[in-house]
This record gives sequence, C-alpha cells and structure tokens, in this order.
Amino acid sequence: MNLDTLRFPPYELPASLTPLRAEVREFLKQELGAYRPVVRSNTWDGTDAAFSRKLGARGWLGMTLPKEYGGHGRSALERYVVVEETLAAGAPVGYHWVADRQSGLMVARLGTEAQKKAIIPAITSGEACFAIGMSEPNSGSDLASVKSKAEKVADGWLLNGTKIWTSNAHNATHMIALFRTDFSPEAKHKGLSQFLIDMKTVRGITPRPIRDLTGRGHFNEVSFVDVLLPPDALLGREGDGWNQVTAELAYERSGPERYLSCFLLLSELIKVLEGKASPSALAKIGAELAWAASLRNMSLSVAGMLNEGKDPSLQASVVKDLGCHFEQRLPGLAQELVAMEPTLSDSGIDYQQVLGNLMLLAPSFSLRGGTLEILRGIIARGLGVR
Amino acid sequence: MNEAQKILEDSVSRLFADSVDRDLLTRMENDPWNADLWQACVELGLPQVMVGEARDGMDGGWVEGFIVARACGHHAVPLPVVEQMLAGHLADRAGLALPGGVAGLLPAVIPAAAISGNTVSMTQRRVPWGRRADYFIGLTAQAELLLIGKDGSKCQAETNLAREPRDEVVLHASPILARGATDLPAEAVRWLGALLRSAQIAGAAAACLEMSVKYTSDREQFGRKLSQFQAIQHHLAEIAGQMASVDTMALAACVALEQRGLSAAGRDARFELAAAKCRASEAVEPLTRLSHQVHGAIGFTYEYDLQFLTRRLWSWRAEFGAHGEWGEYLGTIAQQEGGDGIWAYMTA
Repeated sequence: MNLDTLRFPPYELPASLTPLRAEVREFLKQELGAYRPVVRSNTWDGTDAAFSRKLGARGWLGMTLPKEYGGHGRSALERYVVVEETLAAGAPVGYHWVADRQSGLMVARLGTEAQKKAIIPAITSGEACFAIGMSEPNSGSDLASVKSKAEKVADGWLLNGTKIWTSNAHNATHMIALFRTDFSPEAKHKGLSQFLIDMKTVRGITPRPIRDLTGRGHFNEVSFVDVLLPPDALLGREGDGWNQVTAELAYERSGPERYLSCFLLLSELIKVLEGKASPSALAKIGAELAWAASLRNMSLSVAGMLNEGKDPSLQASVVKDLGCHFEQRLPGLAQELVAMEPTLSDSGIDYQQVLGNLMLLAPSFSLRGGTLEILRGIIARGLGVR
Repeated sequence: MNEAQKILEDSVSRLFADSVDRDLLTRMENDPWNADLWQACVELGLPQVMVGEARDGMDGGWVEGFIVARACGHHAVPLPVVEQMLAGHLADRAGLALPGGVAGLLPAVIPAAAISGNTVSMTQRRVPWGRRADYFIGLTAQAELLLIGKDGSKCQAETNLAREPRDEVVLHASPILARGATDLPAEAVRWLGALLRSAQIAGAAAACLEMSVKYTSDREQFGRKLSQFQAIQHHLAEIAGQMASVDTMALAACVALEQRGLSAAGRDARFELAAAKCRASEAVEPLTRLSHQVHGAIGFTYEYDLQFLTRRLWSWRAEFGAHGEWGEYLGTIAQQEGGDGIWAYMTA
C-alpha cells in the first residue's frame, strides 16, 4: 500500500483568479435575485436554458475547450472558480452541466474534426444540453454488462435498446451513449463503443420521464428503436468505450459539486439560528464547516492534480465518498438543531422549503455518478486489498 | 512537496522507523525518557526546524513543521519533539535562541498577576514532559515570550492515556531568564499546539490505516483473507477517507498559516487552524473504532502495536482543545459572517 496515492497535495488557486471570482459573484447576485432559495437549492438539477445562454455569453462555458474550435482555451482552474461560485450560489446550471463538465472534454479529446466543429461552439454558447446514456434497466453499477446494440450497417450504425436514469434526456440536444458493438460472449468490456448522437435530427429515440420521489421528472428511460446514425457518429474508437467511459467518470467524480449540493441548506441553517444558537449547536455547525473546509481543500487538490496532468481518480473517489456523507448529514442535523418541519414550496419559510427539498433529494447524492459502494470498492482497490 | 521537504520526511521517518519499536514504547511507558533517541533527534536538527538561519536553525516553515509532527504521530514517538520544535519557533519569533536542554512548553497563558518583577509564580497543568524540562517557555497575556528557570518550581508527575508525561508544574518565584515580544496572539501556544496535534493525529491515522490493511491482508478466516470481505473493505475505505480528510486539512492549515499568519486580527489563518483541529479531533472516534474493529481481539491486547497509536489518538484529541471547543469557535464565525457571508469568508 502506498500512502502517496491517498495524499492531497495542497493546492492554492492563484491570486490572479480573484478578479474572476468577484466578477462571477457579482453576475450571480444580479441574475439570481429573482430565484427563491428553494429553487436555488436544486443546484445542478435546476435547469434554465436562458440562464445557461447568459453564462455562455459571459465566456464561462466550455472555458477549457480549445480555441480553434470555439472554446476559450482557459485553464481548468479558471473553470473551477466559475463552477464553485455557481454551485455555492445555487445557480440553475443543469441545462449545460454535463456538456460543460464532461461531454465537451470528451469531444475535444476523442472527436473527429467535424464533431469538434459542430459541438464545441454549441457547448460554449450554452445552447447544447447533453445527456449521458450509460445505465440500462439490467445494467446499473455493473456497466460492463451493457446490452444495448449498435450494429454496423451499410449507411452507418443501427441502434436498439434501452437506457435508464438518463438525466435531462427530455431536454437534451445531444447524447453520448454507450452501446455494445461486439456481441461475442468473451468481449465483455472490450465490446463497447461510445456514440455522439444529435437528438434533434435522429429518429427513433423516445425519452420517457421517470418521476422521482420529489414528484418531478429529471431523469428518463430512453428507448432506441432502429435508430440509424451516420457512420461518423462513433465517438473515439470502436471497442474502446470502456476505457473512454472510465476516463469520463473521473471528470464526473472530481468536481466541487460533490460536496456543494447542500451548501444552501448550511447557509439557511446559519441564518435561522442567528442569535439563538446554543454553544453545542454552534459546535455542530462548526464541525460541518470544518468538513466543508477540508472537502474544499481536497477538491482543490484534485483540480490541481488534473491541471498538472496527473491521474487523481482514487483521490476523486475519496472526495465523492466523503462529500456525499457530508451532504446527506445536513438535513438530519438541521432537524436536530431547529424545531421546524420541512415543507414543500407551497408553505413554510425559506429555510423549511430548502430543508424539505434537500431532504427529498439527498438519497440521490450517494447514487449518482457512482454509488458509494462502488466508490468504496475503488478506494479498497487503491489500498491494495481488492 | 519539494525536494528538500521530501528529504526531511525521509530522514525523519527513517530515524523513527529504526529506533521506535514496541520494546522502546513499552519501556518508556514506565520511564518516559530516552537519552539516545533524544540526542538523535537533536542531531537531526528537529528542535531547530522552524528556527531562522540567524539563530542556526533550519529556517523551515509550517509545512516542514507539519512533516516532522506527522512523522512523530506516525511512529508514536514518545518524546517531546513537537513541543521542543514549537518552543524553538516561538523563541525565534521573540528574537531569542533556546538554551541547550529540554524546553517545558507551558500550555496556558501566563497572566500579568503571575509575574512579579523578574519572577513567575503560577500553576500550569498538563505540561508535556514537565518533569524533564531544563527550563520553561510560555507566553504572557501581552504575548511576550518568557524563558523561565526551574528554580523554585515543583513538578507533580501525571500522564495522558498513552502514559506520556503531562505534568503539573508549580512555579514559585521562578526566575525569568530572558524575555522578548512577539507579534502573536497571547493564546498562540494553544493555536499552534492544536495545529501540531492535528498533524500528529494525521500521522497516527496513517499508521492505523497501514496496520489495518496489513493485518486484514495477512489474517484468514472462513477460508479467505479478512481483507477480501466487503464489510472489511468498506471499513478500510472509511479509515482511509477520515485519514485523508484530517491530513489534507492540517496541511492546508499550515500553508494558510505561512501565507496569512496568526495575528488575531482580520482574516488570518485561525479559520483553517480551527478547522484542522476540529476535523482531526472529530475523526479520532471513527479512526480508532474502525481500526480496532478490523483487528478483532488482538488489537485490544497490550502486546499488539495498535494501542500505542489509539491511546495517543484519544489523548491528542482533547489536548489543545477537542472538536466541541474548536467547532464552537467555527460556529461563532458562521454566526458573525451570517448564512450569506460564510462562503465568501471560507474562500477569502
């Protein structure tokens, strides 16, 4: 076992980013004034295409994507500051979230010239909404068992199958989906490929929203019936889908969103306790702030390692595991410290509504982007016991 | 970590790995001193790590201090290396050089009423290795550093749960040998002591993790290694996460201290320091519980090394303040900054 793989080298954002942070903060103050706290508490589940276009107009989407294709060629750390500020403020980032976080990077890294030219400007402007087609009805955490088929036919690829838990598929302009291209029984991991799908031009894809326990529908079951894709819809290399997806999941697990989903609740809790917190209540709030500070430093360290071209996938799993515990603890702590019921948005004060909303959303935090059991398995492998 | 810091970590770790073992730790529970090991630490320059070049120090900063303190925690070093290092640093900040011998670091602020002319009279509790001290170092309410002679002092031997000396020292008209103003808050021993204990907790946590991984990889039950059971793997992953969180926050606090200082005014490093000790102390419970859990009964025996670490973790958790106290400090900041201001404060 090598302890170095569990170390998080200190990473301080350069002081040169301070003006950018102030600029984003000011923009959000202007833009989010009309959003109620309960709406802001949806953070990266909150979808607002108009807001995404405004962010794009400011140059804050696709920041790290290459300039020659319409990206901004800025550093991952500049993007980190923008993401951190939008999440802490509870901006509705859901429409562009997946595109900005991972799909753009995938296209920039693996796409053909034509794919890059078509996709990157749409991501940068905030017009593209991406969905990720990974899980299937019988293939959740066990992604290698994906069965949806992509067959090579004369004029391209013919897709059939079903994807599930696909966030935003009903809004999506594009999807990157994992399909089996080699059906031989021994292929397993090796028989998978990724496809870049233009949802607006292709026929035969039907998203069916699945209502979640909040009563809203942000994820979908998506059926593919004889969907004909052009030959150049393949993303990356045929048969390399498993490796591509693994790299994609590292982008998905490393960001500040893994501990900031409930920050608005912490803010509201501090407000509602103003002037009436007992010493022991202060101590509990303080202990959670210590967690937040420690998670932020871990997350910054991961961003720094990514920026230096290192592979912090183990550290990213640790941050996500600890981060979702932190987020999931807060609603229970709030109930312990304040004698108020959680409410839906039709009643109660802001604090109660935010609490109610996040209480309902919290179970998803340790499921999305890799369940905590999967993450702990990854950590155990890093410790050399798996 | 830069090259020089890696060399420091390697040399300190090698010294402790070679010299601190079960026999030594067991012997030192009854007779808590070892002249050879102390001499080796002095020769390696550990008391001088955070002393400037002008006073023949290593001129290291808090990251170097963290490296030494973490290694001390990792190896359960049963000597006041960390306290001596802090005493040397404080003296340096006051423009003084420590005399040879062992410094007794006084944890509590020396009130004005305790000072009469050029002497000090007061009782200080839980002084690490007070019985071995050749002189004492403490800060007054005006943040003046005093170097106090032993004359007139009495010492009552007490210990923490790991049987490390935490003595009651009664100073009675003990002479002030030297004094110097510092730019630190009067409570600096508590703040900086808390930071160094956080680093020691991070080190001991890493050792608990290594020991737990090794034990569960060696031991077989029901026909397979313990580490192959998913329940055990998840315990190990949780220990790893807690360790990483403590380690990261303590190191980040050292970096913040270098950059912002400890001035007791404005947005200095107190937030990060408090977060480091709060996090470290809170983590002691899961760290010790899970490490013992995966070891089974053998870890509960005196003959097995885990207890040298866990008894220290339980002691260090409360020394220089436990998570309740530091959490209350952080909670008070949250109240001052308000729900809408806390994020800006954290990221300032």
